[in-house]
Amino acid sequence: MQPARQGWRVALRLALRDFSWRFRGLRLLVVCLFLGSGALAAIGTLDSAIRTQLADRGQAILGGDIEFGVYGRAASREEMAAIASLGRVSSGMRMQAMASAANGSVSPVQLKSVDGRYPLYGSLTLADGRKVGAPPPGSAWVDRGVLDRMDVAVGDTIRLGEAQVRVAGIIGNEPDRLSEGFALGAPVLVSDATLARTGLVQVGSMAQTKYRVALPPGADPSAAVEAFDRQFPTGGWTSRTRDRASPGADRLTGNMGQFLGLVGLAALVIAGIGIAGAVSSWLESRRGTIATLKVLGATSKDVLRIHLLQVFVAALVGIGAGLAAGLLAVPGLALLLKGFLPIEAGFVIDPVALLRAAVFGLLVALVFAAPPLLASRSVTAMALLRARIAPPRGLWRKAALPVGAGLAAIVALALATTEERLLTATFLASAAGVLGLLALVGIAVRRLAARLPRTRGGLALRTGVAALDRPGAPTVALVTALGFGLAAFAAIASIQTSLDAYIEGTVPTRAPDYFVLDLPRDRAEPFRTAVQEKAPGADVRTVPSLRGAILAYGPRDNLTWVSDLKDIPEGAWALRGERGLTYAADLPDGNVVTQGRWWPADYKGPPLVSVDEDLASALGLRVGDAITIALLGVERQATIASLRRIEWDDMGFNFVLVFSPGAIDDAPHNLSASVSLPPGQQGGALLRYLVQWFPTSSVIEIGGVLRQAREILSSLSVAILAAASVTVLAGLAVLLGAVAAARARETYDTVILRVLGASRGQLLGALVLRYALLALLLGLIGLGIGAGTGWFVIDRLFEFPFRPDWLVVLTVTGGGAALIVLAASLASLPVLSARPARALRSL
Amino acid sequence: MQSSPHGSVPAITANDLRLELGGTSAPVSILRGIDLVVPGGQTVALLGPSGSGKSSLMALLSGLERASGGSLVVAGEDFSGLSEDALARARRGRIGIVLQAFHLLPTMTALENVATPLELAGRDRAFERAAEELAAVGLGHRLDHYPAQLSGGEQQRVAIARALAPDPQLLFADEPTGNLDSETGAQIVDLLFARRAASGATLFLITHDPALAERCERVLEMADGRIVSDRLA
Repeated sequence: MQPARQGWRVALRLALRDFSWRFRGLRLLVVCLFLGSGALAAIGTLDSAIRTQLADRGQAILGGDIEFGVYGRAASREEMAAIASLGRVSSGMRMQAMASAANGSVSPVQLKSVDGRYPLYGSLTLADGRKVGAPPPGSAWVDRGVLDRMDVAVGDTIRLGEAQVRVAGIIGNEPDRLSEGFALGAPVLVSDATLARTGLVQVGSMAQTKYRVALPPGADPSAAVEAFDRQFPTGGWTSRTRDRASPGADRLTGNMGQFLGLVGLAALVIAGIGIAGAVSSWLESRRGTIATLKVLGATSKDVLRIHLLQVFVAALVGIGAGLAAGLLAVPGLALLLKGFLPIEAGFVIDPVALLRAAVFGLLVALVFAAPPLLASRSVTAMALLRARIAPPRGLWRKAALPVGAGLAAIVALALATTEERLLTATFLASAAGVLGLLALVGIAVRRLAARLPRTRGGLALRTGVAALDRPGAPTVALVTALGFGLAAFAAIASIQTSLDAYIEGTVPTRAPDYFVLDLPRDRAEPFRTAVQEKAPGADVRTVPSLRGAILAYGPRDNLTWVSDLKDIPEGAWALRGERGLTYAADLPDGNVVTQGRWWPADYKGPPLVSVDEDLASALGLRVGDAITIALLGVERQATIASLRRIEWDDMGFNFVLVFSPGAIDDAPHNLSASVSLPPGQQGGALLRYLVQWFPTSSVIEIGGVLRQAREILSSLSVAILAAASVTVLAGLAVLLGAVAAARARETYDTVILRVLGASRGQLLGALVLRYALLALLLGLIGLGIGAGTGWFVIDRLFEFPFRPDWLVVLTVTGGGAALIVLAASLASLPVLSARPARALRSL
Repeated sequence: MQSSPHGSVPAITANDLRLELGGTSAPVSILRGIDLVVPGGQTVALLGPSGSGKSSLMALLSGLERASGGSLVVAGEDFSGLSEDALARARRGRIGIVLQAFHLLPTMTALENVATPLELAGRDRAFERAAEELAAVGLGHRLDHYPAQLSGGEQQRVAIARALAPDPQLLFADEPTGNLDSETGAQIVDLLFARRAASGATLFLITHDPALAERCERVLEMADGRIVSDRLA
C-alpha cells in the first residue's frame, strides 16, 4: 500500500495538473466564497476598527476617561467636589447657537466652550499646524465650513449671542469631535470667559455642561461612574466612559453590528448552498475523468484527494479575493456610516478578522463540498463503459459524520466569535429550519411529479413534469437553491421599501420653518411682534421649555426608581437621561387624551402630569400613579392625571411629560418657539433679524435639520442595502448556478428528444412550463421566508416599523422568478439551436 | 475448464466467472460461468455480437468490474473478493487498457496523460518514460498537445502509449479502432501489435472484425454470456 504522504504528493501533482485555472465548473464556488468571505472580512474588519479605535483612542475621542454631563446648570459644589476627587478635570459647555457676520450672513453652529486644561487627551490642532488649547479671550477657533458659509476669514469678526468674537484660527483636528455626536452646525470653540460674554448661558437654557476627568493610572472608570451615580441619583447626570465613547447612537451602532453579523452569516449559508450545488455539478461533469483515472489505477482515496485539493485551491482563490475586496470595502462602509460610527474612515487591516473570515470560508467550502466529494468516490471505472441509470443511494451515511462535525465546527466558531450568541443561534437555527423546509418542499415536488399521470397531457407537460422525477434529477437541490435565492430577493425588497417608508414617514414633509430655543419669557411678545412684522401671516407658537430626568414612577406607595433598573424597559427611551419638559393649561395641539382627564384651564391644585400613552404602556403606568422628576437638581413629584396619544411625526413641540400649571413653572426656564411661514414666503430676512435682535436665543432652520436627518437616514439605508446586497448577489449566483447545473444534467434528454423529432418549440415549452411552475411555487414560499426575514431585520433588529411596499416586493420576487425561467431557457439555447446530429456528438 | 494451448505460465486464470447486474430485486445475468486460462505473452481476440458479454468479460479480467461469482487470478494476483480500490491498486503497473473512445484526460497534455499511470504506480522518471513511450508511438513531437489538439488516430496512439508505459503484463484493448476510419484504424492496429510485441505483454483484444481477430494467436467467440468457441488462429 502506498504511504499516505506519497499518496497526497501524487494527488497534489495530479490535482494541479488537471486543475482548470479558469475555474471551469468551480466558478460558482469561487463567486460564493468571494461574496461570503468578503462580507465577513469587511464586517469583521469594521467591527475590529471600531473596537480598536475606541480602545486606543477612547480617551481622546471622549476627551477623558469619564465624561459627566448635565443640562441647564453647572455642577453643585458637592457634585464638583466629587468629580474633582476622581482626577484632573476639564469642563466646558455645548450649545446650539447662531453666528452672524457683518456682511449679514448667518450660520448655525455648535458652540463649545473649553477651559485651560482642554484637551485632557490628544491635541487640538489648527489648520496651519499649530497645537493649541482654549482660544484667547474674545476669539474663537472656527470650523472651515462655518467660515465658507458666512464668507468670512481668519482675522474677521463674527457675532455669537451678544459678543463680537474674532476668528483666530481654523480647526484642523478636534480630538473629541467624534464623541460630540449630532449637532446642527459646525463647531466653534471659545473659552469659558468668551462664552459668558455671549449671554447665551442662563439658568435653564438649553446648554449642556460637560466635565471630563482624567483618572489616575489603574483607576476603574465604570466603578467611579457607579459611585458618582449612587451619590447623586437625582441630579439628572449622564455619564460615559472611554470604552463607550461613541455618542448616543450606541443602540443604532449595536443594531448595525448585529445586522452586519447576520448578513455575513446569511451570505455564508447561501454560499454553502451554492458550493454544494457547484461541486456536485462539477463532479458530475467529471465522471468520465474520474472513471479514466480509476482505469489508470487511481483508488477512491486518490480521487477524493485530487478533487478535495482542487476544491481547496479554488476555495483559497475565492476566499483570498473576498478578503481583498472586503478590506477595500471597509473605508466605503465606514464613510457611509460615519454619522453613526465613532471611527474615521480609513484603510484598516485586522489579521484576526481576516483569519476568522478565511476559516469560516474554508469550513463552509469543505463542509458543503463534502457530500458530493465523498459521493465522487463511488464513480467506478466502469462508468466509462456503462451508462449510469441512477446515482447510488445511501451515500449520505458516509457524509453524515464529516459533514456533521464540520457543521458543528461552524456553529461553534460562529458562537465563539460573537457577542450576540442568542441572536446568532436563533439565526442559524432559522436558516437550518428554512433549509429543511425547502428540502421537504423539494421532496414533495418530486413525489407529486412521480404520482402525476405520465401517459396523458401534451408532450411539453408530460416531459416537463417527468423531468422532475427522473433518476438523478436534482429537484431537491434545485428547489433549495431557488427557494433561498428568491427569499433573498423578497427580503431585500421588503427591507428596502420599509426603510424608504420609514424615511418618508419620519422626516415630515410639513414642519415649522424655524425653531427658536432659549427665548426669554419676558421677550415673548416682542418676538411675536417681530415675526409678524418681518413675515406677515406667519404662525408663531411658544411653549415653556425645561429639561429634567425621570427618577421614579409607579404607584405612590411602591415607586420604581430608575437608578435601580438593570435595563431600561423596551420603549421607555424617555428614562434615558434628561428630557424636554413643559407645562400647559390647555391640551397641546395634535394631542388626544386617551385615559383620564385633562385639567381645567384655571387649575391651581396639587401637581399633575399628563404622560405619553406609549411610555405609560412601556412602564405599566396608570392614571393616579406618581412620577418623580429631577429638575435642575431638585426632586419634584406629580400625580398622573391623564395619558395622551402624541402625533410625533408633525415635528411640532411634543413632550412626553406635560405638567399642570404651577407644578414646575417656578423653576428658572425659557420658552421655545416655532415659526411657520406662509406658503412661498422666504425667511432669510426674518432669520437675520432674529439673530440680530434676539442674540441670546438659538434659531434653527428646520430645512437644514430635515436635510441632515434625511441624509443620515439615507446613508443608513444605503449602508444596510449595500451590506444586504451581498446576500442577494450570492442568492443570484446560486440561483443562476443551480439552473445552469440542472440544465446541464438535462442536456442528454434534450438531445435525445431532438433526435427523436421533438421540435424546439415543444422542448422549450416543456422547459418553460416546468421552470414556471417551480418558480411560481418557490416564489410564493420565498415571499413568505423573505418577508419574515425582512420583518425580523426591520422590526426586531432596527426597531423601525415594518411597512414594505408589497407591490414592489411582489414585483421583485416575480422578477426573480422570471429570471429563473429566462436563465433556464438561455442555458438550453445552445442545445436547442444546434442541429440534432451536432448536439448528439456533443454528448 | 479450457486449457491453454501453449502451456506456459497463465496470465489469466478464470473459473466459473459470473456477473449479474441490476441488484437483488431483478438481477440480469451478464456472464454465465466463464472458464478461461490465458498464458503469458499470448495474443487473444474476443469476438461476438453486441450484448454477448465481451466488454463485461474484459471489465472483469482487467479489474474494472467485480465478479458476482467464480474465481479469477490475473498476473499472479487473486482478483476474487478484492474491493474496487484493491482492484485499482492491483491494476497499477500490471494492466494497461485501451478503450474505443480513447478516454484521454482532456485537461492534460499527451505527456501528462501518459505519465499519470506511472505516477499513480509510484514509478520513478515518470515523465522521461512517458516521453520515450510517446516517441515510440510516433508522437515525440506532440508531447505538449492537449487531446482536443490531436486527431482521433493520434489520440488513440496516446492511449496506447499510456497503456504500455508502465510496462504491463497484460494489455486490454476494447474495439481500439471503433472510432477511427479504416486507414487510421489499420495503422493503429499495426502500432498496437508492434508495441505489444516489443513489450511482450499478453494482449486481450475485443473486436467485431474477424480479419483483425485473425492477427491474434487465439480467437475466443462469445454469445449470450458464455464462451462458445476457443481456437488457435
